[in-house]
Amino acid sequence: MPLTLGLLLSLSFVVSLAALAFLIWAISNRQITVDQGDAETIFRDGEQGHIDNQGTEHGDAKMRYHFDPVRAGIDAVSARPVIVLLGTATVWLVLGSIFGVMASLKLHWPDWLNQSAPLTFGRMRTLHLNLVIYGWLSLSGLATVMWITPRIFHVPLKSPRLVLVGAVLWNIAVALGGLAIASGWTDGEEWLEIPWQIDMLLAVAGACFIAPLVRTTRARDVHHIYVSGWYFLAAILWFPVLFVVANIPGLHSGVEEATVNWWFAHNVLGLWLTPLGVGTAYYLIPKIIGRPIYSYAVSLLGFWGLALFYSQVGIHHLIGGPVPTWVVTLSVVHSVMMFLPVIAVAINQHVTVAQNLWALKESVPLRFISFGALMYTMASFQGSIEALRSVNSITHFTHYTVAHAHLGAYAFVSLVMFGSAYYILPRATGRAFPWPGLLKLHFWLVVIGFGIYFFSLTIGGVLQGLSMLDATRPFSESVELMKPYLEARSVGGTLMTFGHLVFALNLLGLAFYASTRAQNTVAAE
Amino acid sequence: MARKSKHSRPDEAFEPYEEHAGVPMPVNWVAIALTIWGTAMLYDTGESVQESLQDRAEDSDVVAQSVPDEGTLLFGANCATCHQPDGRGLRDAVPPLAGSEIVAAGPDIVSRILLRGIDGPLTVVGQDFDGHMPSFDSALNDAEIAELASYVTTRWADTTEATAQTSEEVASLRAEIGDRGSFGGGAELAMMISSLPDQPPMPARSHVQAGDQAARDLVFAGRDQVWSCASCHGDLGQGDESTPRLAGLPGAYIVKQLQNFREGTRENESMQLVVQGLSDPEMTALGAYYTDLRVPSTARPVLSGDLKRGEQLALQGDWSIGVPACFTCHGPSGFGVAPNFPGLSAQHAPYLAAQLANWVGGQRHNDALGLMAQISEALSTQDRRAVADYLASLPPVPAGGASMARMETQDDQ
Repeated sequence: MPLTLGLLLSLSFVVSLAALAFLIWAISNRQITVDQGDAETIFRDGEQGHIDNQGTEHGDAKMRYHFDPVRAGIDAVSARPVIVLLGTATVWLVLGSIFGVMASLKLHWPDWLNQSAPLTFGRMRTLHLNLVIYGWLSLSGLATVMWITPRIFHVPLKSPRLVLVGAVLWNIAVALGGLAIASGWTDGEEWLEIPWQIDMLLAVAGACFIAPLVRTTRARDVHHIYVSGWYFLAAILWFPVLFVVANIPGLHSGVEEATVNWWFAHNVLGLWLTPLGVGTAYYLIPKIIGRPIYSYAVSLLGFWGLALFYSQVGIHHLIGGPVPTWVVTLSVVHSVMMFLPVIAVAINQHVTVAQNLWALKESVPLRFISFGALMYTMASFQGSIEALRSVNSITHFTHYTVAHAHLGAYAFVSLVMFGSAYYILPRATGRAFPWPGLLKLHFWLVVIGFGIYFFSLTIGGVLQGLSMLDATRPFSESVELMKPYLEARSVGGTLMTFGHLVFALNLLGLAFYASTRAQNTVAAE
Repeated sequence: MARKSKHSRPDEAFEPYEEHAGVPMPVNWVAIALTIWGTAMLYDTGESVQESLQDRAEDSDVVAQSVPDEGTLLFGANCATCHQPDGRGLRDAVPPLAGSEIVAAGPDIVSRILLRGIDGPLTVVGQDFDGHMPSFDSALNDAEIAELASYVTTRWADTTEATAQTSEEVASLRAEIGDRGSFGGGAELAMMISSLPDQPPMPARSHVQAGDQAARDLVFAGRDQVWSCASCHGDLGQGDESTPRLAGLPGAYIVKQLQNFREGTRENESMQLVVQGLSDPEMTALGAYYTDLRVPSTARPVLSGDLKRGEQLALQGDWSIGVPACFTCHGPSGFGVAPNFPGLSAQHAPYLAAQLANWVGGQRHNDALGLMAQISEALSTQDRRAVADYLASLPPVPAGGASMARMETQDDQ
């Protein structure tokens, strides 16, 4: 067999498999465990003086895992950067979802607002995508990372001012990127539309986030790194590589450029947003419920499974394209291998929630987060199946893919971020949300809105795909049959956007109307 | 409300941690199953890639070895439908190759004729013909032309001179000829071949500027909602992709289609809008205009259809699925039979495949006796692609054939 790039890539599959086999062997032979000594370390590092706050039958276990971040002065340092990041993220969320609804409406009202170029579908949709990815999801994810990382490492955030500088630069870059896209100046590749000149500013801003996190990690006061830490640290190291490689102008061209494009676009979801979301859920689910997660060994499997298999996944977007069969097949195989880490995360997170369903009733943040975690499982399973050639040939180039993208980026990551914002902000500001009912309204608006959105596009997408594959039906039929589904999508999208306005209102309420009464009792809200 | 819960409220200072449960066995099983599946999938792709590489190597071996029968195959596929397998031609219609003075002039002339085609009267072996030889310039490559020229001269030229032609020679001929168009009948051939008997004179070509001014205005400028024909069908009616080639189609056929668009027996959003603004005399003028146009083929097999299967359907049909040969009705080499059967050769493959699909889907139901609907129904999607690709690979309707069709139409009226 000639030595080809395909062979080399397949070798990466073999290496990943070998690594996975070794990992499973090591776990089953207890090569990797947190031994009693580690646990003692955590215990000693914790604030021993607070053990007396415990008063339950779980006392023994709980006493060992006990640490008061407020006492240690950790939250006070992270509070300002986190509030700034979350606040600006919310602005982008509202703007981004308004553009999203407008783009959605244009699909069934094609003549609406088409007088000027910035208001046309091509630019509206692109604005929506870039604002929610780089504005809302990245910033809210970073806010959560800035909040949780110091807590699990038991040290205050290093260089918090640098984070503020980064936040300002990042927001300027996103705003400039949005203006560039609206004026028609883009790099012309999906997910990479922001011109590379502005990307440089994003990269500088990103460095301002990464340096403090790395410094915080190096100064950590714990021996064992909790699973959220792995995901966060991996994400902040993976994303810069992805972002810089994909954005360097002139480095790739032609088919290669398309390959790199989808490698990037899919990895933004899998190696940036996913670890942020999964890491956040891993911290906040047990934190809010007050019970540990099921298994350290399973967390290892989940994390390394993602790390080993995800990076090749994106090329399944090019099934049928002029890309070597090897590359696509490898990507299909890697996509399906993603079942493994997803099952692992599902076991760890859902078991803990399922055993403590009472907490869902009490805590709205937990409701957001565990719904999001559940959607991670769904989106990943769906994604693995969608990557198969037989399924992909129907669903690709249809609205089905759009529904799937929103299942991952919205129902999973965004909902986890809503929950995390609702959990973090009262603690960061020392205030309580003035209108608790609006939190629930937010939850139901986005969940119902998303349900309508997802099911209409999924069903419509399959019908559209089948219609396009049937040569005896004219193309226009595949467009016409989508109309009711597209209208339903607009309804769903509008409900979600109302939810976001309620979210923004809650944040405004917290800033201007909230009493500064003690918040430490509200683990729930 | 939270305080009333019977569950202990978590303490703010609780720190999340992981318990030490092992990996559940089913997860390991899933891991093993996925590994096996993934390896098998990659191995399988490797196998099929190897196989296709081998196939390709074998194919190129066949070409390289240049099997003695290659010329016979090419002749059978490209020439025999008109010139007949024995090269005797058809009396009054197709000149013979056997005994022909032109073939006797050697492979160089045969190659030139294959590349340019003939358009005009000529005399062969004492008989007069109205020459309609198509140009194979777009349909055959250098090696195939060389092979055919050698085959024809070796078989029928009564000569002892060299009869072999190489593809390099054909390539230089092709460069020399450029876009000079068809030979102007026997008269022009006689200028190159001194040994030819007397040839009839070439009649003055009037159709180059043919078509009345009104038709030309419609074709190039359009009018209100009748946008110009050329804007989609090309300035020479050559068409593209799913827009059909109109050049050389029977005029009556074009008129019938325009009327069908108006009646709604043939559906197409653009054309249905356009025909609303066309009067009957204008339709006739447009039909007459396009039937006279000649333009080299711009069609290519682009649908990855199986050309062998396409050739089988076009030449023999497939009685196991009840499909007659295309050429039974659409004429030898798919040149069309005026006024009802349009030429298919050199038609764009995406258009042909789409029409076959439209007969099935009911967007087109303007065929007499439901002939085409029945045939299209019997064809699979692959068959439709195969036959469309094959027809696209053929040389275009020969020059002059269409004007005959027009005359017949006028006689009818």
